[in-house]
Amino acid sequence: MKLIKLASITKKLAVGALAAFLLIFLPFHMGMNMCILRQDGGEWYRNVCHFMGTNYIVKCFEIILLLCIVCHIVITFVLWLENRAARPVGYAVSQKSKTHTGSKWMIYTGGIIFVFLCIHFVDFYFAKTGLTKGKYVAKVEKVDKAFQQKAQALQQGQMDEKQMQALQKQYMAIQSIPAEKRTQDFKYFVNLTKEDVNTYCGEDFKDYEPDFYNMAIDKFHNPLYVLIYLLAFIILGIHLFHGVVSVFQTYGLMNEKYAKAIHWLAVIYAIVIPLGFAMVPIHVIALF
Amino acid sequence: MNLTLKIWRQENAKAKGHFETYKLNDISPECSFLEMLDILNEQLINDNIAHPVCFDNDCREGICGMCGLYINGRPHGPDDGVTTCQLHMRRFHDGDTITIEPWRARPFPVIKDLVVDRSAFDKIIQEGGYTSATTGGVPDANAIPIPKRKADEAMDSASCIGCGACVAACKNASAMLFVSGKVSQYTLLPQGKPEAAIRVKRMVKKMDELGFGSCTNTFACEAECPKQLKRTNIARLNREFICAKVCSDEK
Ligand code: HEM
Ligand code: SF4
Ligand code: FES
Repeated sequence: MKLIKLASITKKLAVGALAAFLLIFLPFHMGMNMCILRQDGGEWYRNVCHFMGTNYIVKCFEIILLLCIVCHIVITFVLWLENRAARPVGYAVSQKSKTHTGSKWMIYTGGIIFVFLCIHFVDFYFAKTGLTKGKYVAKVEKVDKAFQQKAQALQQGQMDEKQMQALQKQYMAIQSIPAEKRTQDFKYFVNLTKEDVNTYCGEDFKDYEPDFYNMAIDKFHNPLYVLIYLLAFIILGIHLFHGVVSVFQTYGLMNEKYAKAIHWLAVIYAIVIPLGFAMVPIHVIALF
Repeated sequence: MNLTLKIWRQENAKAKGHFETYKLNDISPECSFLEMLDILNEQLINDNIAHPVCFDNDCREGICGMCGLYINGRPHGPDDGVTTCQLHMRRFHDGDTITIEPWRARPFPVIKDLVVDRSAFDKIIQEGGYTSATTGGVPDANAIPIPKRKADEAMDSASCIGCGACVAACKNASAMLFVSGKVSQYTLLPQGKPEAAIRVKRMVKKMDELGFGSCTNTFACEAECPKQLKRTNIARLNREFICAKVCSDEK
């Protein structure tokens, strides 16, 4: 029974290629997260998020990335089904053969990563698209500009009573904005709810972005969330250890000469990447 | 040694099988595993208990590949690098329970008891496990000089005896180690080169058609192969497959 009518090796090559893209993507994501470790009130991280959220090349990559994850899951799942079908009657004694670490659990570790990705998406991506409530950040410069425009309109008498009152209210609110809702240098309004955006930036202000920095820090204050987060990355490490070795093998890039080097590359990758991600919540718990 | 044997009994390919338990006493530790089964069968016949247990065997010296049995969760039993016929009872302990199962894979249907039909391997070989230059007399063995290293490598790959332990051990019942051994032994030598692309395409296609699983690089095959074929053969098979797909227009 073949669910996808391609040679088995071709399917594996596809899984490997999609996975290789993910393997290259992960260090970038890790590097981005690790900007939180700089104690700069989230300035670097905010800049990176701004770049990632607005650059068109990044947006293209985002779509490719999403497709990669979906296709990786679909093909591996199909392979898993096909492989199960290749042994309709199982053994009574479970198999005792030596196997490569993680290789037998790929579908389970992958499944857990998938659940984690879903949580991740709900938490961050949904907030970005406005599907769930998030925290937002706005550049003071831009708020100011919008305010000035309105003030000009006011001087030229193009405003009715209601708009005028709104403008006044906004001005008063900004005067007494609490310290946690702005950066120290007064360059950004941060940690804003949707209502806060209306209050401080004006009803029709559109130039705000999700405040991933404060959302992340909020999340990491919840010990249960941190625990799940850390466990997910241990699981990811196991998936990645076999994954890295596996990609080389699948693409025929394994021989006696490089086997050791590939093994150690996989070990290092599978430790460094999860560790890099894990340092962020650990840092947050330790310092905030 | 006194043993308890749990053995898969199945009348024929269509029948539903089950495990049967037999007690076997006074087995010498020097006895080979298959001799132990011979003794069991003699008792079953002499004492009129049951039909003898069917199991495959031929050379009983580890070269024919007939004797595959799945013993306590490992193909060919607890030793590395040996076939079932080379396994001895000294590897077990007095009072042990030994579970013996046939190879389990969709392309290897059970014929009777512990005997499976491995002709799926023959069908793969028929797709390209040969060189097809057949004219003239027998060529001189050393007419084409081959560097020792390459000759050794090809010989290692060619030492596969087609026993099917790799399929039996693999969680996906994949035949990649077997196929990779065959593909490698030809690819590494000049005589096999001209047909390398068409060979790998056809053999992989047949392997898939017959219902073997795909490789998840679990390497249980390597751990269980009695001839210790290496995983690097599978990497070579993948490499050859990519090259054939990209560079060759033969179908
Ligand atoms: C999101 C859910 C995921 C699932 C369900 C999943 C599942 C799997 C499975 C079952 C395999 C084994 C495929 C096979 O050997 O035939 C696999 C392989 C692999 N996965 Fe994942 N995975 C997921 C996410 C990821 C992520 C996020 C990465 C990397 C960043 C990744 C990297 C790899 C790699 C490198 C391989 C080896 C590919 C090969 O054998 O050629 N996976 N995955
Ligand atoms: S590769 Fe090894 S385990 Fe597989 S059939 Fe050949 S000898 Fe048996
Ligand atoms: S009987 Fe020939 S290899 Fe065991």
